[in-house]
Amino acid sequence: MKSMDKKMTYAEAMKRLQAIVSAVESDELDVDQLTVKLKEAKELITFCKDKLTSTSDEVKKILESL
Amino acid sequence: MDDNRILTLFELNSLVRETLSLTMGDEYWIQAELSEVHPNANGHCYVEFVQKDDRHNSLSAKAKGIIWRDQWVMIKSYFEQTTGQSFVAGIKVQVLVTVSFHEIYGYSLIIHDINPEYTMGDMARRRREILKQIEADGILTMNKELPFPLSVQRIAVISSATAAGYGDFCRQLNDNASGLVFYVHFFQAAMQGKQVEESVLAALDEINAHRDLFDAVVIIRGGGATSDLSGFETYPLAAACAQFPLPIITGIGHERDDTVIDIVAHTRVKTPTAAAQLLIDHQTEQLTMLEDAAMSIKENIIERMKTESERLNVLAERSLRGIPLRVDKELLRVDSVCQKLQSGMNAIISNEKHGVDTLLNRIMYATKQGLVIEQGKLRLIAQRVDDNSPQKVLSKGYSITYADGKAVKDASAVKPDSELKTVVSNGSIYSKVIKK
Repeated sequence: MKSMDKKMTYAEAMKRLQAIVSAVESDELDVDQLTVKLKEAKELITFCKDKLTSTSDEVKKILESL
Repeated sequence: MDDNRILTLFELNSLVRETLSLTMGDEYWIQAELSEVHPNANGHCYVEFVQKDDRHNSLSAKAKGIIWRDQWVMIKSYFEQTTGQSFVAGIKVQVLVTVSFHEIYGYSLIIHDINPEYTMGDMARRRREILKQIEADGILTMNKELPFPLSVQRIAVISSATAAGYGDFCRQLNDNASGLVFYVHFFQAAMQGKQVEESVLAALDEINAHRDLFDAVVIIRGGGATSDLSGFETYPLAAACAQFPLPIITGIGHERDDTVIDIVAHTRVKTPTAAAQLLIDHQTEQLTMLEDAAMSIKENIIERMKTESERLNVLAERSLRGIPLRVDKELLRVDSVCQKLQSGMNAIISNEKHGVDTLLNRIMYATKQGLVIEQGKLRLIAQRVDDNSPQKVLSKGYSITYADGKAVKDASAVKPDSELKTVVSNGSIYSKVIKK
């Protein structure tokens, strides 16, 4: 799934999440689309929260190597 | 040569001293730059004054100076309390001096008083000149205009390892209540004195070489009532900060004036602790945005459930009034809508990676509750509809009679000899109208 792209930045994920929120708010989605968007929103929220509150060893390692 | 005309060194020096004391007035106010300041163990302070020739980048005058112990205590505290600036080398001062000559120590100026306003005026003038140049270069607001990234986590800190401020900053950042993660990388630089410009510029260069690895730069130092920030007041430093490609946050702990780098920086706060708090607040705002997004989606789904349930309500009401409709089909449709929403919600809840993700769980739990309530309502309605469905009614012994494919509700609408179809619970009976 596109939203699981590990290379996605926080800003990109947030942008996509807000697009979903707008679409959901505008009531333009049928129920099937809504279900898909819900799953994507959930993944994006988890992804963003993860970035904000879970330590990434990768980032740590890179900075320590400076 | 007449030996009587030959002086000892002491005699010559004495002559100089006497001549000076006879010809020089008592006291002079002078303006000069301090190039050295050395308080010694006896409590006296030895300084060196210079006058620079800016055009030729050379010295045009130089003199030693002494502040005796009793004066030094008073002058230092008066000066520092008034200006907020430490009495250190590199600043310009206006002092009241007497000229002294000593046979051994030579020429020196004895300092009796100081005018702090002169130094403040000089610092302000220097700052104004730097800013004027920065503005003329068109770079004054460049750093301020940089967008602050949505998430600011990777922080390049320029500070002095010995400065208390760095510890305060890290402690504040790491102890945040929301469990926010920050990555701090330290770049050593002098935070006072003459090395400030060179070492901060070197740190900025190094950060710039790895600028993709950072979201923001923080320049911090522990404060105090007085400090020597004159090292920050330089054009090269201000220009480098103004043009830096990452937003710079300064917290260099000065209570009175902003330094030029405070003015050109993206954001200026007073202390290292405040700089950390600014970052925490920024990230907390992101968490709130995520919460808002989840909340909005939840509310929308509950709204959607209500709409579907109202739709069913309408169908049920019509059905109750005896209008034969494909209620079962509609029920199935609405039910499948609800199930889809339910399974969407379930996917959200069960996919939860972190066991205790309070934010998301709380919202999703509330949403699920809303969903359960709506589904309960639907079931009740479905039950009512079912109780009144034609099939249920027929099984009680009622029947429906159709003429020309339409249910007969009005006897006058049926003509003699017309054919009727009567539906009972287990089949149909065909008949002919004999009498009306």
